[in-house]
Amino acid sequence: MSSFFSNNEAMWDRAVRIVLGAGLLYLGWGGVVTGTLGFVLQWLGFVPLLTGLVGWCPLYSLFKFSTRAPKA
Amino acid sequence: MATSNFLDRVRAAARPVVVEVWAPWCGPCRSMAPALDRISHAYAGRVELLKLNADDDPQAVRALDVLGVPTLLVFRQGREVARRTGAQSADGLTALFDAALSEDPNPIVAPTRSERVLRLAAAALLAGMGLASGPAWFLVGAGALVAFSAVYDRCPIWRALWPRLAQRWRPR
Repeated sequence: MSSFFSNNEAMWDRAVRIVLGAGLLYLGWGGVVTGTLGFVLQWLGFVPLLTGLVGWCPLYSLFKFSTRAPKA
Repeated sequence: MATSNFLDRVRAAARPVVVEVWAPWCGPCRSMAPALDRISHAYAGRVELLKLNADDDPQAVRALDVLGVPTLLVFRQGREVARRTGAQSADGLTALFDAALSEDPNPIVAPTRSERVLRLAAAALLAGMGLASGPAWFLVGAGALVAFSAVYDRCPIWRALWPRLAQRWRPR
């Protein structure tokens, strides 16, 4: 059942990802960074933004890592 | 519990049922367990809590269309009326148990307060970045979508549309 996803981001982690994603999107779409790098940032920004909104990081899952601390 | 007849038990239950799909390796399931036990005790006699170990009964998990753990599903008279995936706060769990007792055939489960604040902040950031970027209407639109996801439970149009959408998404 390891194909399941389960929320693995703490609230602070999600907030950081959202801010980072919005920042990258601003750099890309705002024309602050242009050319190939700008194009990359235009789409790369959605990765932290979406993982922050959903609360699940596929890389964390791959390495069985989580920023949510289990209490039990 | 033996889970071979799990779905039969859910559908035959006399009282509303909250099903928790969990797994032993799932940290968020463990972190949510104390609050879930406390709240299920508060609703004892009115709402039944059934726990389904996803590793023990993958067939039941597939039948429930569950893709992640923890997932909480609310059944009334054998019919699914609400579900939430991911660890829930005490407020989120209470909202699910209240949905189980609601007379509404398709109750809308509101996002928790922290989830709402996070989504609204993300929406403001996106819209702000979009307006400062030209404007980039694509980002403004994305911000509007995220804002809607924070307040959909209070939107009268969504509340009117939800019963039809819920029937389409949850035919069982």
